Amino acid sequence: MATIVKLQHISSFRGKGTRNLIREGMSKRPTPDPVAVLRGHRASVMDASFHPSRPLLFTGSADGELRIWDTVQHRTVSSACVHSAAHGIICVASSPFIGANKVISQGRDGTVKCWDIEDGGLSRNPSVTIKTNTYHFCKLSLVKKPSAHALQAEGHSYHDETEFRGTFDLESLDDSKEKAERGLTECSNVVRAGELSHEVEVWDLNTAERLVQLPQSSVGGSPNISTSERGMCMAVQAFLPTESQGSLNVLAGYEDGSMLWWDIRHPGVPVTSIKFHSEPVLSISIDESCRGGISGAADNKIVMFSLDHSMGSCVVKKEISLERPGISGTSIRPDGKIAATAGWDHRVRIYNYHKGNALAILKYHHATCNSVSYSSDSKLMASASEDRTVALWELYPPKT
Amino acid sequence: MEVASKRRRELEAAVLDKVGEVISAVRSAQRVDQVICALHSLAVLLFPLDYSSLLSGSIDQRYRDQVLSAKVPSEEERWEWWQAFYHGAAYPTLARVLLLDVASNWLACFPLSARVHVYDVFFVRGLSSEVVQTLVPCLQQNASDGHDINYVLSNTERLLVHCLLENDGVLQMAREFCRSEDSISEWTKPTVARLAQMVASIPDKARLRAPVSLSSHLFFKQITIQLLSLAEKRDEKVLDKVSFFSKSDVDDALQFVGETFSRICRRGSADVLLSEISPRILRHVQSLLSSDIDSAVIDVFEAHPGSQFWLKMIEAIKDVYAVERISEQLLHHLVTEHASDVEAYWILWLLFHRTIRHQTSVRSMFVDKFVLWKTFPICCLRWILQFAVLECPPDSNSLTKGHSISGLVDTLQRLLAVWSKKEFVQSASMEQQTYVSAAVGLSLEKMSKEELDETKDVMHLILQGVSCRLESPNHLVRKMASGVALVFSKVIDPKNPLYLDDSCSSDIIDWEFGLATPDKGNLDTSDCTEKDVLKSKASILAPESDFNHTANRGMSNNVKSKTKKLSEFKIADPDEIIDPVTLNNEPVSDIDDDDDNASENSESSSDSSLQPYDLSDDDTDLKRKFSQLVDVVGALRKSDDADGVERALDVAENLVRASPDELRHVASDLVRTLVQVRCSDLAVEGEEESAEDKRQRALVALLVTCPFESLDTLNKLLYSPNVDISQRIMILDVMTDAAQELANAKTVKPKHRTGSLITSISESQPWFLPSGSGPPGATSWKEISDTGTLLNWSSRYERELPSKSGQIKRGKTRRWSLRSSSVQENQMEWSHNKFPVHAAAFMLPAMQGFDKKRHGVDLLDRDFVVLGKLIYMLGVCMKCAAMHPEASALAPPLLDLLRSREVSHHKEAYVRRAVLFAASCILVALHPSYVASSLVEGNLEVSKGLEWVRIWALHVVESDTDRECYTMAMTCLQLHSEMAFQASRALESVETTFKTRSVGLPSNLSQGTIKIPTHKGNIDFV
Repeated sequence: MATIVKLQHISSFRGKGTRNLIREGMSKRPTPDPVAVLRGHRASVMDASFHPSRPLLFTGSADGELRIWDTVQHRTVSSACVHSAAHGIICVASSPFIGANKVISQGRDGTVKCWDIEDGGLSRNPSVTIKTNTYHFCKLSLVKKPSAHALQAEGHSYHDETEFRGTFDLESLDDSKEKAERGLTECSNVVRAGELSHEVEVWDLNTAERLVQLPQSSVGGSPNISTSERGMCMAVQAFLPTESQGSLNVLAGYEDGSMLWWDIRHPGVPVTSIKFHSEPVLSISIDESCRGGISGAADNKIVMFSLDHSMGSCVVKKEISLERPGISGTSIRPDGKIAATAGWDHRVRIYNYHKGNALAILKYHHATCNSVSYSSDSKLMASASEDRTVALWELYPPKT
Repeated sequence: MEVASKRRRELEAAVLDKVGEVISAVRSAQRVDQVICALHSLAVLLFPLDYSSLLSGSIDQRYRDQVLSAKVPSEEERWEWWQAFYHGAAYPTLARVLLLDVASNWLACFPLSARVHVYDVFFVRGLSSEVVQTLVPCLQQNASDGHDINYVLSNTERLLVHCLLENDGVLQMAREFCRSEDSISEWTKPTVARLAQMVASIPDKARLRAPVSLSSHLFFKQITIQLLSLAEKRDEKVLDKVSFFSKSDVDDALQFVGETFSRICRRGSADVLLSEISPRILRHVQSLLSSDIDSAVIDVFEAHPGSQFWLKMIEAIKDVYAVERISEQLLHHLVTEHASDVEAYWILWLLFHRTIRHQTSVRSMFVDKFVLWKTFPICCLRWILQFAVLECPPDSNSLTKGHSISGLVDTLQRLLAVWSKKEFVQSASMEQQTYVSAAVGLSLEKMSKEELDETKDVMHLILQGVSCRLESPNHLVRKMASGVALVFSKVIDPKNPLYLDDSCSSDIIDWEFGLATPDKGNLDTSDCTEKDVLKSKASILAPESDFNHTANRGMSNNVKSKTKKLSEFKIADPDEIIDPVTLNNEPVSDIDDDDDNASENSESSSDSSLQPYDLSDDDTDLKRKFSQLVDVVGALRKSDDADGVERALDVAENLVRASPDELRHVASDLVRTLVQVRCSDLAVEGEEESAEDKRQRALVALLVTCPFESLDTLNKLLYSPNVDISQRIMILDVMTDAAQELANAKTVKPKHRTGSLITSISESQPWFLPSGSGPPGATSWKEISDTGTLLNWSSRYERELPSKSGQIKRGKTRRWSLRSSSVQENQMEWSHNKFPVHAAAFMLPAMQGFDKKRHGVDLLDRDFVVLGKLIYMLGVCMKCAAMHPEASALAPPLLDLLRSREVSHHKEAYVRRAVLFAASCILVALHPSYVASSLVEGNLEVSKGLEWVRIWALHVVESDTDRECYTMAMTCLQLHSEMAFQASRALESVETTFKTRSVGLPSNLSQGTIKIPTHKGNIDFV
């Protein structure tokens, strides 16, 4: 006991930082500034995504430019116009499961392009181009797997492409989990037969084929769960929970504020339907364990929810009300400790993901924030904003 | 009866014989003793004389025997003789001889006792009314008959003092009039009047060197006291007669009192009179009121013997003017003696209740003159209204309404007829206006709604009067309007009073409107706009030094707020606290360290490391910030977006002051939108002022940074039919401010500083220590011990520096530069008048259209406030361009404007004040050498204009009703004389140069003149 007191005594004289700690413990700590601000985009930055292993950041802007940044040097590595300037990019995504040197860009021109990252930049032409013919606001989602599996799967993911391409059915997914991770979930609102259809489509990234539609119109012909009155699909998140025996699950948020949980094994009927929000759901994130997530919408609520796979239910864990409405992006740090939201009110908010209490309100951007994203090592966070900047933040960095 | 008259005639003849005898004896006398003897022989027949005292005097033995041997008549005989002597022709004859011949020739030789007993006795013991008639004409004797006129006059004065003052001669006269019934001669009214006139004229007739007691103040005081003792002492005889005659007519005694009082008033000593009367009557009323309150008071007053004199006194005064003076003075005296409402009412009642019923002149005096045309303290007004209008005794201290309201309605209508007129507002003095407004308010308070409804046009008149007052530039006048409106609204609906003014929130209205009573001679009219004019008048000669502040105000405010916000952040990087990397560098692990990192993958990890940051959040940054002037213009035009307009107003001034390149192109638009923004509609309740202020500051900034473009638009707007009066006034205010700012523009110049190149090190300090120089307040250097390694090759020192004044902390960026803080110290500010370049653009377009009447524009008549502001602005412009050539060029057109009749003789004092201000500014602004050269060169425009200023200022001093105008005109005259003096000096130097060049002065030099007004008269300079 005496040593503890002594150590405390020592620690209190260690230096300026500690003195600050003591002082700041009494009063409020000021919010930190971004560690770096990446400038260079000439239009609103729509999305940002970290490279799964290398210190790179991909950002896409509303004028169709995809930039690759070095997150150590804070410099642009390369820049390319990958979608037409008139349409712009909605989403950029990368994942260890699609290959370490690939990045996917989704444009508002109805195409999704997959690019190879060569040394010094993108490939001249996309390796895969999917013409989805969809024109909407929903960002695509790559399949997310529980992190423990993801780490194991990383090494195998490259040579399984062909198998996945061959047959896609629920059983095969069940057999080899690795095969499904290259599945691409996307939502679409293709107008068919004169009625608005608000469906989630799952595409294979390698073959550029659509695998499944949710809800599947052909099944049963009993549309007991109709999605058309829910409005457009605004956000999707695909994940592969361990409990589902390798079958792909999708959470989709709709315009009326409801969310549907689909299991791809039952494409006609969703697992469950919940309505946490009163306005269009704009963003859904699932944590690495796939047992919970966070959703943001156009209303003034952020909902943290948990997924019970055995019961097939989704319950609210914590509801956070906001002063000003509009959350356009959410992200949960890979270590599952904190979550970030990108708000229309120019602020990035940080929450304790376990407790749900607010940790920081980051005021840096002076325009709407479009997305937030964490690096896979949980050290960095990037926020993309309409003010044409991307800010890099280091908050509560984990111990290496 | 026949026997009596025969006997009287015989007696008169005997008296006359005796007098003739005495006179001839005096005339033929060789010695003074003979004169004394002669006079004594008559005196002994008339008066009971005290011989011992006479004999003690040094009369010659021979004459003493003669005196002693004189036969002393009986009491009765003496009385008869006395009657015959004084009522007949004997006395005037003898008095003439006594006053002229004896006085000049013999009186100096009279022993004192003889003078008292055989000379003065004829006057002192005589019939006062006769004595006065002989004495007073003597005061105006001319030196004709070889008499020693000085001695005659001084003797007469002495006798007057002796008779009238020391022996209560005036009182005796009054008593004599009472006795006139049983006396021989009948006093006619003209005689009484003539006597009163004579008595009252004594002070004026007396010489300068006459005794002090004959000076009007003391003399009138004395005779007033004597006459009032009639009432005081309750002289039985007099008062019996008074009460006896009270039913029919005033008797002669009271008539004499009345006449005397009225003469005193006529001679301008009403205040002396009333200073005696008012305490007495107040005491009387107080004693009556305290003794008996319960019974009917009127009866008490009527029955009390002491009241009789007062009841009749005013009736006895026939002179209307005198009555008026007496009533006025009475009211003023009652105020100074703090009479209560009840007392004052009864005093007025006692004095005037009969006359007010019978004499229309008195009635009209009270209800017309005293209410409408005179000014009294407000409490007097209450008494007047209570007595003359409401006609009933008051409750303890408030006005009470009687049964009949016809008088009240009449009075109210008459008051309103005057009060509601615009001319009254324009021309009446401030005290008058206050007084009449108070009268309106007080009488309105007594009306009920029904009574108001019955009257014809009362409501209409009230509305008219209120509305024309609310337009006035004078704060006090507006206050009167709101006061009356409040009373009116209370009458109409007591539950819903109408407050036109925020300041008058209490139910009791101060009818004096904070105006001091005239007695104190302090009539400060607490008027905002006047103050403005005054202030600037005071600063004509002294430029305002704090003006540069305005220029930087916007900037510094912004900086301040930013600094404030930023200073909330601490320097330290908060992540450092948690960052385990830094902690791990320590040899010991921290106890407080978060176990979170250690148990990275455990779900149950505590989140103690996730310490929240400051979660305070405000939405200031979310509002759209305007960074472009075009955006500001756009936002200002969207009148439905109040928030946007407010924010645009916030940034407008700073954006303009930054003077971006595009400013010149948007200036015109911006000016227009700023003028047309409706601040009052948009701003939150209570913040209209600040929005208005921001708008004006933005406009001033525009005018300063971009004068020509902005002025072009502003001048167009000034006479545009699309703006209202308030906007016009705002435009002129802004132009005034901008002119002043331009005139006081500051430029910053760095000061050259020399520093020593070689620094000396003091011996006491080791060479390796850093030098102690630095900013003041720095602590001494301290060595820091390095804990890390034992071998230490370098010494490290640290000290704390005080934060520099004016240092701006922007986030984490710190500037380490000694230079930055001292920059400001090294700079010197040079003021440079930038205004003259723009003077013409400021003044000429504004002067062009002032007299044109167009739709919505009527400066000369309706919008006189705008005209006043315009002239004021022009005056400020002149002042700002003072001593520059531009001032000389612009002075003639401005003088032309001022000279135009409808401006310089404007009905509103506000405009005249502005004209005086502008004229003063011209006088200050013109360079003396310019005035001189314009005289030399025969520039009639200037010289005539300046001469007009002088004449006009003199005219204002003499005849203007407005006090402010008067003082300003005096200042103007002073400035004119100063200017003329300077010009004459300049002229002298011009003359010498002309002479040295042997060039003759041009012949037309004599055409220009400057007159210097001095107390001795005007000296013309040629």
